[in-house]
Amino acid sequence: MNIRARQSGNATVWALLLFATLALFGVTLYMVFVVAPVEKQMGIVQKIFYFHVPSAYAMYVGFGVSAVGSAMYLIKRSPKWDALGVAGAEVGTLFCLIVLLTGPLWARKAWGVWWTWDPRLTTTLLAGMIFAAYLALRSMGSAGEVEKRFAAGLALFGLIDLPLIHYSVQRWRGVHPTVITGKGGGLESEMYWALSLSFVAFTGLAILLIWARASAERQREEAASLRFELMHR
Amino acid sequence: MRALISAVVLGFTLLLTSPTFADDGPATGDAGAETAAEERAAQFVGVTGPDAESIPGGVLLLTAYAIVWALLFLFLLRLRGLQRQTAEELERLSAEVQASEGR
Repeated sequence: MNIRARQSGNATVWALLLFATLALFGVTLYMVFVVAPVEKQMGIVQKIFYFHVPSAYAMYVGFGVSAVGSAMYLIKRSPKWDALGVAGAEVGTLFCLIVLLTGPLWARKAWGVWWTWDPRLTTTLLAGMIFAAYLALRSMGSAGEVEKRFAAGLALFGLIDLPLIHYSVQRWRGVHPTVITGKGGGLESEMYWALSLSFVAFTGLAILLIWARASAERQREEAASLRFELMHR
Repeated sequence: MRALISAVVLGFTLLLTSPTFADDGPATGDAGAETAAEERAAQFVGVTGPDAESIPGGVLLLTAYAIVWALLFLFLLRLRGLQRQTAEELERLSAEVQASEGR
């Protein structure tokens, strides 16, 4: 397949994914605000849950992609894997920020405090800090080979924190709710469907953002190598 | 490759040690005691009638949703800026390459 045909195919997949994600967000908003009932104990503030939890899932996707891209970069040293590592870290950090900002708004109503050093909150903050360090390292001018390899190692280190976030509510004492479990969630049917749709919509959004960011990063690398070539002529 | 192996070894070491030290361990003595996971809220129940709230949840909810959309919008704006800047630079560099080849 030639490059032009592949680019055209990519553009079609991109457009379809974008359309499907936007449509899903529309349906999700309807499900969250019209269909899903108001929670008995917490009231309307519980609806933050429908964006907070899928954002946490999108954060896992972003950080996971960054770790995979970084591992592949360390093995193959190909710029496309490095671009994927950067894109995943940026998108993961974006969703981590959403989780860390929307969570306290729910906590203020549910727990009476904005923040508490609960294991899940603490490990999520730690993941955000690790990947923020990754991005800070990569933003120092045009990153050289050493910086790229060090950042890739940092992304793999950050990956260790992801299962800790996930299992912290089961293993350690804390106050974070556990409504979604392997035994079946403590959610009413309408709540369950609103959350499920939101999960799919946020996954689509995370994929779209990673795709766009990785493409921009590859172009940036191309420009950098062209600049290097011109300087050494 | 060495960096990857070091990262994997470090990862496994941390994975094995930190939960071991941080774990509270099973509850002792009281046979009917709940585990850490069981003590927390495990169910969201829908309200059946009108219910008054002490803290206005609507404001908190609106703020949360505004934050989500604002952050996404800012990210997209930044991405667009980055793409535009790179495209301009690529165009300029391509012109420079062509000019240098013509010399």
